[in-house]
Amino acid sequence: MNRFWKWTAGIFGVLFVAAFAALSYMAGSPKDACGMVRYALPHMHRGTLKVGSDAPDARIVALDGVSRFHIRERTHERPLVLVFGSFT
Amino acid sequence: MGAVVQIYEDYKKRADFLTVYVREAHPTDEWQMKSNLKDKDDVCYAQPKTLEQRVMIANDFVKRFKFTLPFGIDDMSNAANDAYAAWPERIYIIDESGRIAYRGGIGPFNYKPEEAREWLAARYGAASSTPAPSAAAK
Repeated sequence: MNRFWKWTAGIFGVLFVAAFAALSYMAGSPKDACGMVRYALPHMHRGTLKVGSDAPDARIVALDGVSRFHIRERTHERPLVLVFGSFT
Repeated sequence: MGAVVQIYEDYKKRADFLTVYVREAHPTDEWQMKSNLKDKDDVCYAQPKTLEQRVMIANDFVKRFKFTLPFGIDDMSNAANDAYAAWPERIYIIDESGRIAYRGGIGPFNYKPEEAREWLAARYGAASSTPAPSAAAK
């Protein structure tokens, strides 16, 4: 291996370790950093919606598990505060 | 969720609210957080694979926390989540004309219910429990 490739591999190695250390600090631990990369990053998107965009519609299931309704059905007379989240 | 519940209590006579339960953020079979294990409420669930499982977890959440906001569940196609880039948590306000009036940041780091409160306060006036203004609404 010539000198150029040794330096290139060394620089990439240092950058990788630094990025992983920073991610571990941000996530809480190395294990959480792995979890973030594997499970969170593929699902986190800024999306294309902006203030002023038409609000997309989607069909929502009611708590009874049977009834359905659309987000748009609730957006006529007053502003609708839409809160997305999960339990864990 | 406490801040959102307080906003709901303060503005429910002037605005509509809808909570949408989307795919789990930290299920036991994916990226489980230590904080979930320590949680006194024992919030440990695997990622739902069926709508029935999602409905069961959503109902457990509502009952356990006596959650008062109107509640719905994203179906297994994750249509609402995909349309709003909602995961893991996010707030939007849609105005009467059906347009996005406020787009909140992606949680947990940029999930800021106080910005939604500021939008509502700017439109309807501050509620009694409104905290002092902080960051400008997006």
